[in-house]
Amino acid sequence: MIKFDSVSKRYLDRHEALSAISFEISKGEMAFISGHSGAGKSTLLKLILAIEKPSTGQLVVNGVNVGRISRRQIAAHRRQIGTVFQDHQLLYDRSVFDNVALPLEICGYHRQEAGRRVRAALDKVGLLSKERSYPEALSGGEQQRVGIARAVVNRPCIILADEPTGNLDPDLSAEVMRVFEQFKSVGVCLLVASHDASLIQRLNYRTLILHEGRLCEDRMPGTSR
Amino acid sequence: MRGPHARDQQMSRDQRATPRNSRSVSPGSASRLAQVHRDIALSSLRRMLSTPGSSLMTTFVIAVSLLLPALLFGLNSNLNAVLREFQDNARITLYLEEGVTNSRGLEVSESLLTGTDISTAVYISADQALSDFSAAVGLENLTQELTTNPLPAAIVLTPNNAAPAAVAALAERLQAIPEVSLIQVDSVWLQRLEAISSLIDVIGRALMAIVVLGLFFIVGNTIKLAIENRKDEIRVIKLVGGTDIFIARPFLYTGLYFGLAGGMLACLLQAIVLIAFNFSLRELIQLYESSFELRGFDIGNALLLILLGAAIGWTAALLASLRHIRAINP
Ligand SMILES: Nc1ncnc2c1ncn2[C@@H]1O[C@H](COP(=O)(O)OP(=O)(O)O)[C@@H](O)[C@H]1O
Ligand SMILES: [Mg+2]
Repeated sequence: MIKFDSVSKRYLDRHEALSAISFEISKGEMAFISGHSGAGKSTLLKLILAIEKPSTGQLVVNGVNVGRISRRQIAAHRRQIGTVFQDHQLLYDRSVFDNVALPLEICGYHRQEAGRRVRAALDKVGLLSKERSYPEALSGGEQQRVGIARAVVNRPCIILADEPTGNLDPDLSAEVMRVFEQFKSVGVCLLVASHDASLIQRLNYRTLILHEGRLCEDRMPGTSR
Repeated sequence: MRGPHARDQQMSRDQRATPRNSRSVSPGSASRLAQVHRDIALSSLRRMLSTPGSSLMTTFVIAVSLLLPALLFGLNSNLNAVLREFQDNARITLYLEEGVTNSRGLEVSESLLTGTDISTAVYISADQALSDFSAAVGLENLTQELTTNPLPAAIVLTPNNAAPAAVAALAERLQAIPEVSLIQVDSVWLQRLEAISSLIDVIGRALMAIVVLGLFFIVGNTIKLAIENRKDEIRVIKLVGGTDIFIARPFLYTGLYFGLAGGMLACLLQAIVLIAFNFSLRELIQLYESSFELRGFDIGNALLLILLGAAIGWTAALLASLRHIRAINP
């Protein structure tokens, strides 16, 4: 589903954020990306979303060569992927309901029509009672969960999450991870960037560890330190 | 939170409502699409009305821009109406050589009627011309005081085709008749008027082109500012897979509204200008005993102006929004 083949990313200032990354994640697989702050976790997710292009190497996501993707294909490519952004990326002049409905609206659903799916997604993250609120009135953790609901509402085949539990207490983190596991069980491919070592350790999934832009360890589930 | 089982139930219920592959294909029936568009249209309108000052200003600028060429074209259609009215009584006067006798003059006059291009021909002898003249100037005894008649005999013609070009061609042909010494065409000033009219037409077209270009900039700039104001929102929509045209839709409505409103205001202003002019022109027109009335404001023209405004607004918004939305990258 996601295949990195010696991918490097150099930003304009010639700083190499990722160097020669190679790994593959298949359908129905869930993996963590961990590493220190600045290790390149967010950059890796941005490459998958075609927000940034790889400087060298080949990246194929869901059959699409992301390095060669045309401007027109980008939107359709992103619609296949549900993303939880580190900084939420919510629309602050729209209600929680409308925020979560956005991916469906883009696909041509009318907001009211999308209602059942939006409420199901909000229910999963425990925010059904907040559908009429505006993001500003929510806590950081609640905003993060709105972002998670939006990422899953259109049943994407790939879910990317950048520090999805960054603002959540352990109980809520566990809940969110359970939502992700449900999607894994129906064949969705998940990639979760996190520096929360205890969470990663507890869940025992495949973990890609980045260090200064290099993939220094690809730890398979079941193997512990 | 729900367990996986509850979720699966939810999913299968949803699947019945919409096909699984509806993810990337727009699941749109016509009524659904209409509903979606109605919502976008309403929210665009609300956004415009939320800043009444600047919206009104933009509308006014569009209206005035449209008004200028509209007034010129209006002036021209009035000028053409004048031309048509006067063309109906275009006249050609043939002055005959001095030695031509009355009987020869009548013969020439009658021979002219055999063609199809002249509808009436009236022979006026030199004597009659003099008595007509003296009656007209009020000097009844002028005929007695003059020893010789200085006026020539004449034939007055009404051409069938009163268009200036046709009249000029006819006059040229008549010049070849040996008895004719001089030809006077009454419609020379009509020709000048026609030339002025076509000049105004050219100016009107050029002005229209400039105005259309200007409107593209005005509407384009308005849309650019609107996009600038919603940059963050656009960035987010792009991140979750919204296409440029999806993002552009509300801005297209904005452009359409500005064009429509500008067109309607232009019609209103045009009507006001025409009414004001008609009022002051009425006296002048009465002096000329003309049935003429200023025209240029009818439903057809008004609709055309509104339609033109709307088309320009929408197109300008399309070009501007696609350009500026493309430039925003997440
Ligand atoms: N847009 C950018 N331009 C230049 N450098 C960047 C940009 N984004 C990230 N970087 C750099 O790339 C490195 C990796 O960043 P990032 O992927 O955000 O790390 P992480 O998410 O693991 O904390 C950092 O050194 C960061 O400064
Ligand atoms: Mg990061």
